[in-house]
Amino acid sequence: MTGRAAVRHWRAQRVSALALIFLVLWLVVSLLMHLGADRAQVQAWLGAPVSAVLAAALVVVAFFHLGLGIRVVLEDYVHTPWRLAAGLVANRVTCWALALIALAAVATLAFGW
Amino acid sequence: MTPAERPLSPHLQIYKPQLTSVLSITHRGTGLALGVGAIFLVWWLSGAAWSDACFRAAQAFWSSWLGKLFLLGWTFSLFFHLLNGVRHLLWDVGFGFDLPTTYRTGWTVVAFSVLLTVLAFGSGLYAGGSP
Repeated sequence: MTGRAAVRHWRAQRVSALALIFLVLWLVVSLLMHLGADRAQVQAWLGAPVSAVLAAALVVVAFFHLGLGIRVVLEDYVHTPWRLAAGLVANRVTCWALALIALAAVATLAFGW
Repeated sequence: MTPAERPLSPHLQIYKPQLTSVLSITHRGTGLALGVGAIFLVWWLSGAAWSDACFRAAQAFWSSWLGKLFLLGWTFSLFFHLLNGVRHLLWDVGFGFDLPTTYRTGWTVVAFSVLLTVLAFGSGLYAGGSP
């Protein structure tokens, strides 16, 4: 990755990091407040509008940030071109898939589907 | 194209470990660990949304001895990556890049990561629950 793409990557990593400071602290505090919660209590918590929006934002930003980070690790350590290409695709597909599954779960809880 | 056999510069294991390099690789390691943790969170979240059995399996995992060990690792990883990430952001805006400050902020990150891990994990154990 070179030039403009690298600058975009650098900036995206940092902007998402800033957002994650607040979203991750919200998650930690919320999890601590829901220790030992059963499924109904978790559904009530994540079904509430504010927590559903925050959870959705966390899912999107976290998997975006994770994908950017793993990409750097792959580019640093994988030196065979085809392995690197395969790794980058696998990284992208996995991050997208996990984010979409998590978003669908949050939507299910929020809208009571 | 086969890569040419060029001479290599001295590699990582030649150098004595220093706080700077150790924290740098720890930032990577904790980031990857959090990626694995995210997969488990999605598993737990999917259970909450769609499947009683899946949710109970996730809860049983967090409550187990092994699950708690993983949680401890993820708690530390999260606080370390968070605090050291802020350290990186401060460097990016030009603060604290001289060597004495780099060491000072480095040790601060280590101390507060351990402290916050003990506080969060301890309060979790004290409450006796599993998240």
